[in-house]
Amino acid sequence: MTTSLSYREKTLYASLVAEIIVYGPYFFLHQQNSVNKVAGMIIAIIVLQVVLQLVIAAFTRNRVTDERDRLIELRGYRAGYLMVASLMVVGLAMLWFHATMGQLHLDNPKIGLHFLSVFFGILVISDITKTATQIVAYRRAL
Amino acid sequence: MPAIRNQVKELRALREITQQELADRVGVTRQTVIAIEQDKYSPSLETAFKVALELGVPLEQCFQYDPKGKR
Repeated sequence: MTTSLSYREKTLYASLVAEIIVYGPYFFLHQQNSVNKVAGMIIAIIVLQVVLQLVIAAFTRNRVTDERDRLIELRGYRAGYLMVASLMVVGLAMLWFHATMGQLHLDNPKIGLHFLSVFFGILVISDITKTATQIVAYRRAL
Repeated sequence: MPAIRNQVKELRALREITQQELADRVGVTRQTVIAIEQDKYSPSLETAFKVALELGVPLEQCFQYDPKGKR
């Protein structure tokens, strides 16, 4: 008995690949130094996702989704939300810590970009958590 | 043991229906049929009724609830 990948599962792997290809260099090559790069990344991830989804849709005959797919999707969103909430609490705690230590320099001209980078990072980590949770749920058959 | 067990695999084999055929008739993916047969996924009431209907048996002959089972 084989359990080949369903349409939804293929799209999830494609999303994970797109996220790693686009976000990986951004975060690990320290490219967080301009708003244009953030905007470029958002455009890149959208274009890459659309292209990959189109390719998968073109090569998959059976594109049925059912109640189990929706349940797994909800589980993924719950995991993603919990990650956003947790990271926001950690971020606020770090902000408070830096403020009490006198290390928070709000007059720094790069502070806006720094905050943007942190928020974007939280969104990216949460998105990857969501996708990974869904893939694990599919692999465990839920 | 799971709380909801089923005889889908046996009933399907008796009627010589493939997993894909049953999935198509019920309106779910083949992976969902596999998960149901392996007792890894408990379908909704609507899907359970559809499966029983397609296999031509009453619901309770297809799915059984064990109150001592793991949810």
